[in-house]
Amino acid sequence: MSILIDQHTKLIVQGITGREGSYHTEQMLQYGTKVVGGVTPGKGGQEVCGVPVFNTVREAMSATGADATVIFVPARFMKDSVLEAIDAGMKMIFTIAEHVPVHDMMYCYHLAKARGVKLFGPNSFGVISPGKTKAGFMAGYFFSEGNVGVMSRSATNCYETVKMLTDNGIGQSTCVGVGGDMIPGTTFVELLPDFEADPDTKAIVIIGEIGGSEEELAAAYIKEHVTKPVVALIAGKNAPKGRSMGHAGAIVSADGTGSAEHKEKALREAGVYCADSTQHIVDILLQLKKEGRL
Amino acid sequence: MKLLEYKAKELFDKYHVPTMRGCVIDSSEHMEEAIDQAGLTYPVVVKAQVQIGGRGKAGGIRFADTAAEAKQHCEALLFSELRGYKVNQLLIVEKAQNNKTELYLSIMLDRLTKCPMIIFSANGGMEIEQTAKEDPDKIIKLTIDPFVGVKDYMAAYLLSRAGLDLSYKKQLFDLLKKLYQAFMDYSCMLVEINPLVIDANDRLVALDGKIDIDDSALFRLPDIQEFAQKMQPDNPLIKEAADYNFLYIPVEDEGSIAVTSNGSGMLMSCIDLISKEGMKVKAALDLGGGATADRIKEAMRILFSTPGVKAVLINIFGGITRCDEVANGVKMALEAEHSDKIVVIRMEGTNKEIGLTTIAGIQNADIVSVPGLRECVKALADRRDRL
Repeated sequence: MSILIDQHTKLIVQGITGREGSYHTEQMLQYGTKVVGGVTPGKGGQEVCGVPVFNTVREAMSATGADATVIFVPARFMKDSVLEAIDAGMKMIFTIAEHVPVHDMMYCYHLAKARGVKLFGPNSFGVISPGKTKAGFMAGYFFSEGNVGVMSRSATNCYETVKMLTDNGIGQSTCVGVGGDMIPGTTFVELLPDFEADPDTKAIVIIGEIGGSEEELAAAYIKEHVTKPVVALIAGKNAPKGRSMGHAGAIVSADGTGSAEHKEKALREAGVYCADSTQHIVDILLQLKKEGRL
Repeated sequence: MKLLEYKAKELFDKYHVPTMRGCVIDSSEHMEEAIDQAGLTYPVVVKAQVQIGGRGKAGGIRFADTAAEAKQHCEALLFSELRGYKVNQLLIVEKAQNNKTELYLSIMLDRLTKCPMIIFSANGGMEIEQTAKEDPDKIIKLTIDPFVGVKDYMAAYLLSRAGLDLSYKKQLFDLLKKLYQAFMDYSCMLVEINPLVIDANDRLVALDGKIDIDDSALFRLPDIQEFAQKMQPDNPLIKEAADYNFLYIPVEDEGSIAVTSNGSGMLMSCIDLISKEGMKVKAALDLGGGATADRIKEAMRILFSTPGVKAVLINIFGGITRCDEVANGVKMALEAEHSDKIVVIRMEGTNKEIGLTTIAGIQNADIVSVPGLRECVKALADRRDRL
């Protein structure tokens, strides 16, 4: 099994006629994703890679019965695209774009929560359930089917880890790019229950970073509710300190929240294995495999 | 984009946030004229317009009782350097006198709740961060539901919790509404007033202003774009890299290694591993996705020209970024100028084999190709005596 998406997921692509949208539609189709339609206002009636294009999300959904959308539009149009998808009744939305205004995402985030919509990204590679389907721009070939669930704030650190996992014969159930932005639509802590409940996920990998409190929140949840082994990496221990945002930033993080030390301490206390590099994640998982826990 | 105080004050004026009257000057000769035109009365405060914290302690804020004194301060401050930042403008404001107390007020975007959050304290002024550490109860935080906005009971709550008289409720509510409007209209990460004083006439007045605007939203803020163009970058290489859509990040002053990759996560991993081995990174450059050979060449040139850099590490895990393009860019850069730098390259992903062949064909350069991140760090450690 997998979480969020599988071979039955019917996906539409918003921005399908654009350069990225059309290229990745082809890539997703080749991977086996059921891309059932696309949306570009004014281009309804056309086709991209044999996939019908609609003017609006509402029309695309009623014609295809799509249950998820991936949005390949430039950052400045992302908010409108997300609102259109939510309004049309879409329940799962993947956003990809980098440099989305944070205020736009703040609005989308709260609307999605209020409407019970699963929103992912932005600044994310999407989601892949290897061997079944993918929604996003990750290169499919270095992922492999298996039983490690991965979620990552960084695309490159996730690729690096997954490639080494695959090279070492450890496959993945689902890999989720939660995205590297300040306001991610879905965070680690919201995905943990899904991975914990998925019978085919035997271990969970969290690839985090300095900043924010997503890892701390995940640690608190793991401590109480997660029985599966969890391996975490916090990137950015030696990154240059971001210049403080006036006093407010320092006031909010006066307790140390956001630092790698603070995150690792919380994770360790929750029984999480803390890796110091992507390679180390693989070493820990290989050890778990040896112990028959994977 | 952090605004200079005078620009923040301009926005405050636009939203009718009460401030002290003032004027901006960029030459000492025109000081008196500017002061007259703005109708300022002495005493005044002369404030250097630079983006540094602790500006007062650095000597960038000076008081003057007379025009002669003000002139002296202007001449001393204008075009001087404060902690490495050149002072190109001065803000001159009337000095607020006989204030009853100094408060702290800000609205910031809170990552935890993903909402705007008000931070308020009756203990404003320079020691606010100290207060946050030692006496966190004196810092009052209140999130704003973006679908609800600012309401008058919030002002009551802040005053009540801070132990201040509720007679200020109407004024504080009014101020919160204005600040919140500015915060939303300008896609702010932060709007901060410290100190916010209660003056002799019981009015709330902003004596300083900090505004930080989300860079990703600048495309819809033409007035801020204009301001941004006038700002001097703290490091010319940041600007140069930005012209090619690269993110250049200075890391450690005494570092000798420059690292580049196609994503910030991977860059952080590189820096972490290099630091763990006791070596130091001078700068990092994020190529982003899909860089072409021409742009890679420029990225290499920028890193080679970084003072103090002896080695460049290129770590590519290419999905959208193609290894053949990267290799061609590196080749072009090394052939364009005879470089004595050590180059360590690791490439994985799309068109890796073509890329590796290109790298192997580069003549007269100190370049080594390695298979993984650990090997990158090892290759650098092996050459430690030359770093």
